Amino acid sequence: MKLQTKYLLLTIILLTSFLISACDNADKNDDKSIKKPELEELSDDKVIKGTLPKGLKWLTNEIDPVFASEDAKKGGVFRASLRSFPQTFRSVGPDSNGGFRSYLDVNKMSLIEMHPNTENIIPGLATHWAYGKDKRTMFFKLNKKARWSDGVPVTAKDFLYTIKFHRSKHIVAPWYNNYYTKEIDKVVIYDDYTLSVSCTKPKPDLAYIVALGPTPSHFYKKLTKDFVKKYNWNIVPNTGPYQIHKFKKGKNVIFKRKKNWWAKDLKYNRNRFNVDTVVLTVIRDMNLEWEHFKKAKLDTFRMPYPKFWHSKSKTKVFNNGYTHKIWFFVDKRINPQGLYLNSDKEIFKDINVRQAFAHSMNVEKVISQLLRNDYFRLNHAYEGFGKYSNNTIRARKFDISKVKTYMEKSGWKRGKGGIWIKGKIRFSVPVTYSSDVLTERLVVLKEEAKKAGLELLLRKYDNSAAFKKILEKKHTVASMIWSTKFRPTFWSLYHSANAHKTQTNNVTNTDDPLLDKMIMTYRNSIDTNERMGLSVKIQQRLHDLCYYVPTMKVPYVRQGFWRWWRLPKEYGTKSSDDLFDPMGVGLAWFDKDIYDQTKSAMKSGKILKATTIVNEKYKTY
Amino acid sequence: MIKLNPLTIKKIRRFKSIKRGYYSLILLTIMILVSIFAELFINSRALIVKYEGNYYFPTYSNMISGKTFGLGENYDYETSYRDLATKFDTENSDNWLLMPIIPFNPYEVDLKNDSYAPFPPSLKDKHFLGTDTQGRDIIARVVYGFRIAIFFSLFLLFVTYIVGITIGCLMGYTGKLFDLFFQRIIEIWSNVPFLYIVIIVASIMTPNFILLVLIVSFFGWTNMTWIMRTITYKEKEREYVLAAKSLGASNLRIIFKHIIPNTIAIIVTFAPFSISSGIVTLTSLDYLGFGLPHPTPSWGELLNQSWENLDAWWISTTVVTAMIITLTTVTFVGEAVREALDPKLHTIYE
Repeated sequence: MKLQTKYLLLTIILLTSFLISACDNADKNDDKSIKKPELEELSDDKVIKGTLPKGLKWLTNEIDPVFASEDAKKGGVFRASLRSFPQTFRSVGPDSNGGFRSYLDVNKMSLIEMHPNTENIIPGLATHWAYGKDKRTMFFKLNKKARWSDGVPVTAKDFLYTIKFHRSKHIVAPWYNNYYTKEIDKVVIYDDYTLSVSCTKPKPDLAYIVALGPTPSHFYKKLTKDFVKKYNWNIVPNTGPYQIHKFKKGKNVIFKRKKNWWAKDLKYNRNRFNVDTVVLTVIRDMNLEWEHFKKAKLDTFRMPYPKFWHSKSKTKVFNNGYTHKIWFFVDKRINPQGLYLNSDKEIFKDINVRQAFAHSMNVEKVISQLLRNDYFRLNHAYEGFGKYSNNTIRARKFDISKVKTYMEKSGWKRGKGGIWIKGKIRFSVPVTYSSDVLTERLVVLKEEAKKAGLELLLRKYDNSAAFKKILEKKHTVASMIWSTKFRPTFWSLYHSANAHKTQTNNVTNTDDPLLDKMIMTYRNSIDTNERMGLSVKIQQRLHDLCYYVPTMKVPYVRQGFWRWWRLPKEYGTKSSDDLFDPMGVGLAWFDKDIYDQTKSAMKSGKILKATTIVNEKYKTY
Repeated sequence: MIKLNPLTIKKIRRFKSIKRGYYSLILLTIMILVSIFAELFINSRALIVKYEGNYYFPTYSNMISGKTFGLGENYDYETSYRDLATKFDTENSDNWLLMPIIPFNPYEVDLKNDSYAPFPPSLKDKHFLGTDTQGRDIIARVVYGFRIAIFFSLFLLFVTYIVGITIGCLMGYTGKLFDLFFQRIIEIWSNVPFLYIVIIVASIMTPNFILLVLIVSFFGWTNMTWIMRTITYKEKEREYVLAAKSLGASNLRIIFKHIIPNTIAIIVTFAPFSISSGIVTLTSLDYLGFGLPHPTPSWGELLNQSWENLDAWWISTTVVTAMIITLTTVTFVGEAVREALDPKLHTIYE
């Protein structure tokens, strides 16, 4: 799973970077009008100051429901594992994009945050916000109580510095350099606690783009060439609930809760972030992690895989009720996992062959007989986006007679080995993939596809080698998963501008004029309803073109946990990733009484009630 | 009948007298033979089918679709002979078929609806040693995996010995700069951590059988050179070489016609040990996931599965036993060969 996370991070970066390069093209005409202040231009005496426009409508949100539990108590130590020790504590620059990065990011607050259940804006570092008339600017009033972890107040200047910092060449982060130039236009300061952030052009869902986080100017002062080296292991002041307390390189990192955190009494933060100390220990292997968990050296264990949930957990600690299991369904944007067909390969230029391929994939069998019906069939690439999703699309099912119809329509015949042939071409395609977890699923797909007359050749590569091959469009079929964004994005993955060339995310080389037209309108529109309608139509067109065969989704969190960890009545939020994660949403708390009770039961061998919680509140089908 | 050299006969007799090695050789030969004809014993295809008065022998023929046996109009793919057998049984007709002892091929996923792989050994299901995590028969995987491993080792042996012996001999025979140069090259070469290099190469290109043999032998040829070099140095000073030289034989002729045949005993002695190291190499590569592409039957992959599913004891027990038997027999054969060819027993020094 961690491997997949790493892979995901890589794809996130690539996906977003391509989106940015996309903007690059679209904005070419406006390029001259965009002000691109250089590093020096932003030095303190040249701060862009302005006067606040009149008639702004200041908004806030104190009416959404809270999602933490009133019963929560502070205290306790939470022990989790890291697959490898971070290569740096920087969050920008080389090697900063590892799995550890998320622990740093969750402790950095933004101007505004998103309510995990309602998806409305809630206050963060700003108490109030207002939309500008130009549809590309938002105004913010900072919370005057906001403090860095070193006690210095957070002011508007720190946001201006965010731009200056991310545009600097010294941080060696071209992606950020580009993003903070091409996407974010400027920060204007009105007084110490009032500011505005502008995009380079009007954007749909503007709030999520301009919700910057501050950067501690008092800490970095002047950036120099040696930034990357100098700040490798520095603990940078942050604004969130926890801060790194100490660390042993290669072994562990310990976070401590800030006792007097400035935001602890904000409405949506109350009763959250309850654990005093978070210890992250390096454990390099999942099986080893499992052993640590059973010995109570780790507090929780993620078990999305059926093997762990169903059979491996039939062990003493679970049977005796010392550890519990929870299966919590979520309703969130689904990462499109599946088989991406490269239409630049001769064989997949024919839509009949692509459809035959889709009908040759017995995903249902994999799910029902291998994955114990724990996974669900994914129907298309954009599930879970609310009204942006086309929920009428159904994935093509395994159907040998349909395969036959499509193949015969294009003049193929069954060869001697039962595989379809046309002239000298056999219906035999290599599948490029990189995750070990996929092997057993692909093996079953391969055996079933043989019946439909398709031969799959499994080609497993190392992560980066697979990604390189795919981005160079050398694959025929790629079994992979993309990350998702807040709203569906189509341009980078399916627009012809990115087809037939290397290093773009259009790995299927989709090139369809009708689709192009819709995608461009979708991209340039800031009308929500129009975008929703287009999004639904684009998805239908994508389904008809059949460049992508969706496989499965895992719309839930499954974890084992020691019973002294308590959760709110709802257990988690609509989009929980980890129910017990102490720093992200931070809803769980440590119950000392239950801890003592469990420990004494374990000592005396007393058997407690074995518990498995299944919560389907957010199950959507 | 080939007339054997009396010395050779003596060596063979000596080998036979070492019972442990002799029986190991017999066992090993049987194992190899069985694995070569594994399709007759372990296969999803029937050996003989009698259908509507016609006889079919599917084992080594092209795929016969289910349509042929009246299994349905759309049954264009390989007949499931186990299903066909059930059909014949219920029909009560003259049709019949004969299945191999283990009616599964090593790729077949035999999954069920109500329970989940790996399945424990079961006589009823005919998975005599159970299945792996994808429902594939363990015996089939082990036997076909053995076939691949042993042939991999033999090919590897062939390639590395040809290169190693040639270069080793040349080094010993020519001496001087050539020798000096290659000595350094080999010293450097043998210090390259070969497993890592193979892993790197395999991770970026998913090797097939031939390619994997070539990659591994690219780093494995050095072992033989040292030995050959030393022997050649010794042999080239012997009188028969001098005699050949004075008769005007070319260097190549001397090396290939005189020196190498005289060192064959030593080469043969090393061969069994090279075979076992070849098997271990392939198994470790497969174990780490950098060997032959999935779903090739492989011991390494089974070992990996058994480590991840320690509760499925039948996986680990079978593959570990198979490995122990194979490696032990190969080693016993090697020991016996070494003893039988021991020059001290056959050479009389003047």
